[in-house]
Parts: sequence; C-alpha cells; structure tokens
Amino acid sequence: MTERRAIELPVVGEVTRRTVMKAGAATLGLAAWATALRPLVEWADDQNVDDFLQKHYRELTPSELQDVLNRLTDDARRETGRPVVIRDHKPLPGVVFAYALNLSICIGCRRCAEACHRENNHDRATHQSYIRVFEMQKGGIDFERGTADYHHPVRAKDKYYMPVQCQQCENPPCVKACPIEATWQEEDGIVVVDYNWCIGCRYCEAACPYHARRFNWEKPRVPAEEINIQQSYLSNRIRPQGVMEKCHFCLHRTREGRLPACLEACPTGARVFGNILDPQSEIRWVLENKRVFVLKEELGTKPRFYYFFDK
Amino acid sequence: MSGPLTEQPPLNRVKKGPLPGATSCWRGLRYAIVCAALGPWSGACGPNSHIVPGEQTHTDAKIVASPPGRVIIRTPEGSPRVATSIRDERQQPVTLACASCHTTRPPDPSHRLGQPLNRFHQHVVGSHGQLSCTACHNPAEGYETLRRADGTTLAYADVMLLCAQCHGPQYRDFLHGAHGGMTGYWDLSRGDRQRNNCIDCHAPHGPRYPTVLPAPGPNDRKPVRRNHD
Amino acid sequence: MATSGATNYFRFLRQALHVATEGGWLFYTWMFVLTAVSLVGANAWAFQVRDGMIRTNMTDHVSWGLYIANFTFCVGLAAGGVMMVIPAYLYRDQEMHDVTIIGEIVAIAAIVMCTLSVIVDLGRPDRLWHMIPGLGKFNWPISMLTWDMIVLNVYLVINLHVVGYLLYTRFRGRTPNPIWYVPFIFVSIFWAISIHTVTAFLYCGLGGRPFWNTALLAPRFLASAFVSGPAFILLVMRVVRVGSDLPMHPGPARLLVQIIRVASVVNLLMLISELFTIFYTGAGHAASARYLYFGEDGHRALVPWIWSAISLNLVGTALFFTPAALRRGTTRVIACLLVLVGIWIEKGIGLIVPGFVPSTLHELIEYVPSVTEWKITAGIWAFGLLVLTVMLKVTIAVFTQEMKLPSHAAAER
Repeated sequence: MTERRAIELPVVGEVTRRTVMKAGAATLGLAAWATALRPLVEWADDQNVDDFLQKHYRELTPSELQDVLNRLTDDARRETGRPVVIRDHKPLPGVVFAYALNLSICIGCRRCAEACHRENNHDRATHQSYIRVFEMQKGGIDFERGTADYHHPVRAKDKYYMPVQCQQCENPPCVKACPIEATWQEEDGIVVVDYNWCIGCRYCEAACPYHARRFNWEKPRVPAEEINIQQSYLSNRIRPQGVMEKCHFCLHRTREGRLPACLEACPTGARVFGNILDPQSEIRWVLENKRVFVLKEELGTKPRFYYFFDK
Repeated sequence: MSGPLTEQPPLNRVKKGPLPGATSCWRGLRYAIVCAALGPWSGACGPNSHIVPGEQTHTDAKIVASPPGRVIIRTPEGSPRVATSIRDERQQPVTLACASCHTTRPPDPSHRLGQPLNRFHQHVVGSHGQLSCTACHNPAEGYETLRRADGTTLAYADVMLLCAQCHGPQYRDFLHGAHGGMTGYWDLSRGDRQRNNCIDCHAPHGPRYPTVLPAPGPNDRKPVRRNHD
Repeated sequence: MATSGATNYFRFLRQALHVATEGGWLFYTWMFVLTAVSLVGANAWAFQVRDGMIRTNMTDHVSWGLYIANFTFCVGLAAGGVMMVIPAYLYRDQEMHDVTIIGEIVAIAAIVMCTLSVIVDLGRPDRLWHMIPGLGKFNWPISMLTWDMIVLNVYLVINLHVVGYLLYTRFRGRTPNPIWYVPFIFVSIFWAISIHTVTAFLYCGLGGRPFWNTALLAPRFLASAFVSGPAFILLVMRVVRVGSDLPMHPGPARLLVQIIRVASVVNLLMLISELFTIFYTGAGHAASARYLYFGEDGHRALVPWIWSAISLNLVGTALFFTPAALRRGTTRVIACLLVLVGIWIEKGIGLIVPGFVPSTLHELIEYVPSVTEWKITAGIWAFGLLVLTVMLKVTIAVFTQEMKLPSHAAAER
C-alpha cells in the first residue's frame, strides 16, 4: 500500500525530488532532440506543401497535371532566371522505340555521353551522364577486361568501344523492384521515373543489370546559362535531391519525332534509332539485316537496345 | 621547289587537319577533336566552317520513307580550288581552278597515294589503298569532275557514288541509316533529317577515321571517396 | 466499464513510465549514453536529409551500404527472437514459457531497428507516405520490397500484441486467456520464418546480381538468424538475471545454446557448399566472392572484414561446443559476443557490399562507410537498445509484481 502511494502520490521528499529531476532530464532531452534535428527544419523550409502532397503522375487529371507543370515551370524560372518550359510529352500512338549501336564504327569518343550530359541538365561538377562508354578488349564481350576509365586518344589498338545506357528492357527488373510504382514502362517502351514520387530507396538501382540508373546523391547543379530550357516532366527537368533518374531516350525530343541527343552527337553514325513497329524504319533494317545481340540475354530482360558488329 | 601555290583543303570539307602520322601527330589530333566534338557538320560547326549545308536532296538517297520530311545529305559545293598566297585588290584571297595548271601539266599515272609529292600538292598525304590520282580525279574534264572506274564522269557533288564503287557495304549501311552521323528527325513526317557525306568524316586521301581524344569520362555522379566527412 | 478499462490502462502506462525511468546509477549512465548516441545519430541523419545522401559513401555502383547491411542483420535478430517460442509452445517446455516474452521483446526492438535502418536509407523520407496502401501506390504483389514491408510490420504488430497482452493481463493480476495470445504466437512462429525469407528474396530475386542470386540465401539467412537471435537473447537473459530479481532458470539458456550449436553447424555447412559452388565453377560469377575473400585487382577493402567474421564465427562456434557453454559463465557470454559480431559482419557488410562489387558491368568500385553512416547506424542501435531496456524494465516490473494494478482498482472490475 505504501509502495503504491509512493508511486501514485509522491509526497515523500526524496521521490518528489526525483520526479523533478526526471522532469528536468526529460526537458533537457527534448531540447537536445530538437537541437539534433535542427538541420531537418532548415531542409523543410526549402520544401513546399504542393510538392509534398502531389499525386502520382499517372493519377493526375489533365488539369491537375497542368497545374503541376505550371508550378514546376514557375519554380524553375524563379530559381534559374531562365525561360524554362516544362512540358509533358505523351507516348506517340503506334510507336515503340528501339536503339541499335554499331560497335564496329563506335570510336569511343564519348560525344554521346557528353551530349547526354548537356541535353539532360546533368550535374555539371561531376559531369554526369546516362551513358557509360567501356573500352573493351577485342576477342570477346567481356566487361571484366573492359574499363570505363580511359583517357587516351581513341580508337586505341586492339580495342573496341561499348557505350552502355538504359536498355529500355521489355521486361524491366527495375520496374518490378519499385515498391511504389515510381518507375514504369510507357506505351512506347520507355521506362520513366516520376521524380516527384520516388522515395529514393534505390532498390531499382540494385535490380538493374546494366548499371543504367543514377541516384541524385545531392541536388544537381547546373549554371543557369547552361540549362537546357526545353524540358519535360518525365525527362530532363532538373531532378530533385534524393530520387532516381535514368536514360529516357530523350523522350522530350523523340516524342516530337526528333532524334535523341546522343545519336545526333555521334560523329560516326554508330547509333541507329527509330520506331520498331515501322517496317520501313532504319532500326528495323538493322535488326533484320545485321546480326544484332543484346547484353545479358540470359537474364530475360529483353532489352530494346541492340548491339552489332559490321565485320 | 616551294612555289606560291599552296594546297586548299581538298573539296569543301569542314576544318580538318592532316591525319595523324602525316605531319605533327598532335596537330592532327587536335584538329580531329574539334571536328569530332562539333559533329563535323552540325549546326554548331556553322560559323567556323566555310560550307553551307547542302540543300539539294541527294538523288541516290532512296531511303526517304514518307514525305514531307526529307533526308538531306550534305554535298560538296563543287570542284575544289587551289589557294594561292596572292590577294586581289579587295584583299580577297585568290584561288585557282584545277585547269589553270592541269591544261599544261600532264599527270603522273605511276604515282600512288601515300608516296610523297615534292612539287605540287605536297599536302596530299595519307593512305587509301593503291590508288593513283586519276583513279578518282578526272583528267578528261580538266579535273573539274570525278571519274568512276568505268570512265564515266561524276560531279564532285556526287562524290558518295564514287566512294560507293568500292565501299558498297558502307554505302548500303549509309542508305539504311546505319552508317554516318545525322541530325534532325527520326520521324520524317514531322521534319527533315540532315546527313553526313562520306567525305565529311573520311578524308578522301586518307579515309581512316582519325584518332581523337575522348570527352571526359567515365562520368560518375559520385566519385568514390575513401575518407568522406 | 469502458471508462474503468481506460483508467486501468492509463494506470499501466503511468506506472510503466515510472519504472522505466527508475534505477541505479548504472542504469542512468546506460540510458544517458544510449540517449547521447541516439542524438548523435539523429543529428547525422538530419544533416543527411538536408544535404543529401552525398554524406554517405554509397555510390551509383555500391548503392546500398551499411544501412541495408544493418537492416539485414536486424531482421535476423527479429526472426531469431522467435527461437524461444518454438520450444515453448510446440514442445510445451514450461520453463521456456516464462521467458518467451524476452524473445518477443528482442524481436520488437529489432524490428524498430529494421524500420529505422530502412528509413535512413531513403533519399526522400518525407515521401514515406507513398508506401501506405490506399494513400500512396503500393506495388504489391510485384515488388519484393512491399512484401518485406508487410511481413515486417505484421510481425511487429503480432509481437506488440502478444507482449502487450501478456504484460497487461499480468498487471491486472489475471491469468492470460490462451485464446487471446496462443494463436498469435503460432502465427508469429510462421511469420518469423517469413520475415527472413522475404528479406532474402529481396536480394536473391535480382538476376543481375549473381552473388545474391542463389537459392541458398534464404536458408542461410535463417540458419544464421537462429544463431544470432538466441545469442542476443542469451546476453539479454544474463543482464536480466544479474540486474533484476526476476528468477531465471538455467534450462532455457541451455536449450538456446543447443539451438545455436545446431544452427551454427547448418550455417557453416551451407556456407561451405556455397563457396564450393562459387569457386570450383569459377568464371565471372565468382568475381564478387573473390573480391570478398581474397581481394581483386588490389581492391581488398572487405578482406579484413570477412576473415575477422570467419574467425569470430569459428571461435564462437567452437566455444559454444565446449561444455562450459552449457553453464552460466564467461565462456558463454564471450561466445555470444563473438558470433554476434561475426554474423553482423557476415550477413551485413559481407553480404550486401559484394553484391555490388564488382558492379553489374564489372567495375571494381569499393565502398567503405562514411562517418555519417557509422553515426547513424550507432544511433539506430542505441535507440533500439533504449527501446529494449525500457520494455525489459516494464516486463521485469510486471513479472516481479513491482508493477500491478492497485487492489482497489482491481476489485472495481
């Protein structure tokens, strides 16, 4: 009985003092937590409620989508002082894109990677790109004997070059991995990411067999004057911090009928792009007349990015 | 004998120096890089280049799928002219037509490309099989045209057909969009496509594609750091 | 009636708060240190959210690191917690019965650590609501991550229910009604297996990562969980026995040692079989294992780790097989510590990182955790131990009747 009273009705001096001390410690503790988490407050100041509450891209009604595009455009203009235009490009009916790359004439000059870097508003300091070019040893397709880290004049003797970017798999493991459908395959075969929906768990990056995905370890920084102002929601608008991104076959160009930036930059014409559903297309000619292969065919990912040799 | 005549870059090619190994290796490289970096004939090349992208549609380009979009292949403006060190009264450089000399000077049919030339055309160096000058240049018309193996003449603008005589597979691939750079539209119903000519990338006298310095790489977003923080 | 129930529950909470904050100087030091480390972790995490994951040493090549490694280990710990429940309920071991609650408390604390490990790994924790079924877009049943989220959360709820129910009924001086907890315990046995299996499926389902893409991964996870879980519980039981008046019978601990003996041998067998397959076949699929065990092309960051892990596991296992391990004493404690650290490395860093090295395009880019990552991981452990300590205090208080419903309140009902 006394024990109970000591707990419930703390009238004994010692207990009171203890309770006061506990309360003091609790207050101090709370203050310490608040201090420890202060950077969160600084971060939260930069966030906006509309971004936070935005629905998934595919759940937006046309008018909601327009609002989102307007908001993003306004934000981008305010941040950069440039007349940025963020649009939404829908897949073209009757079109499925495919890409082929002629390894016999690729010289490994990395102009494609460079063009991607500029076209897609990649972080300048790190010179990021969705394309990684491997210098491979002739005699096999063995990445173990290849390197992406070469800086000597190309083409080098006994080497060939293998640019690798998103293979736009027909059966994409990354899409399967995503717990929240922040990445999906569009009608034209392009796998896209909703940068405003992704939570940044990077499971897709672990799932991708082609090292095609990139994470925004911090917010990408592009000097205002270098920004490509023609932007699209699902492609080259400047990505937020902490989300995934990947090659989208320059959908802001290709869905307007234009060629992707990496192809235009290729000085040798090693790259062939087009609508695989069009029997007259160049890509179809390549697939029908060249002995093409895909990377890691055994994984069953069914890439829509083909490689071939002339000889 | 080094006369007042200096060689104009052959045909209307975008700034492209001698090939590596020909003169100074470094110079060769640098030029080649400029060329490759700009994409030999892309819009960015315009101001520096002395050619206007050809506007006529190549007659042999039968790959045009559906109008209204066109596949526009850049073509040389015409026959080359040889530069001199002389300037006219308006300070414009004076260039000479081939016939200025070649009406009087006969060609040396035994000369093979790759052997040094010590009197004229000293800059024509390179390697292209065992070709002699007249294998491609047509003496019959004062060198203002090209000639094919069967002796028929060919305008400089149609140089691709000359190349195609030997490089059939490449020409076939070109016609099917699988060889040679391009810009513009994949969907010709929405716009035109511009295409390179053989000699935009391959110097006719030394067609091996030049060695270039690669753009920066490997482009990691986050370089490996051992001791971060 | 309802009011009375609510009042009683409020009393329970208030007394729980009281006992959880009551103790000697050792207890206060312990809690102070844990709080301090948690604070350091929370602070590091806050900076990471503000500045981005650039504060970690993860890269696009090694895109998961210490956080997910720790997550994997903690899932094992949570699953291992149930190893006390199986003998108690399937084999009706009465002595075990009384201490099963410790296993469940360990499981709860471990799941808390799992959840935190995943949250700190997110680039956008503010968007966590996208994962809430109904509100967000839940890619179930396609994504294994959604399965993992479901099994972990359900496991947490089951254990919270069982622990809460047992404590609260005892607090009210009643006998727990088996209908209200036994079915849940049986579900939790099944569920414990499932959490670790599904977590293994997260990795072994990825065709692009040959190091993980093995059917043995889930069984190996379970085997090592049935070593690390009981080892951790043994340590907790030791602390409870030394630090409280709650009587601890020697039987359950002995049984746990037996479980560890069997599980560690099974674990070792599977490891050998895995290594044989990898190295005897050779070829490209062995690259990760070569890197892990021997280093590749001068890259040796994981070699000291994995050989430490192997040594710790072997010595720990050997100690468990000594007769001294069956008795109370230092040997057992040392053995527990050795295998815990060993397994933490083996199925943490030693499992996650080689999955990424070499990368899918065979680039050897190494990973060493950054200070931020260590701080946050330490913070998570400290917070997990804080949760565990508080729950243990309350449990001990309830079981020793230090904490009980006042008799007049009990009479009212």
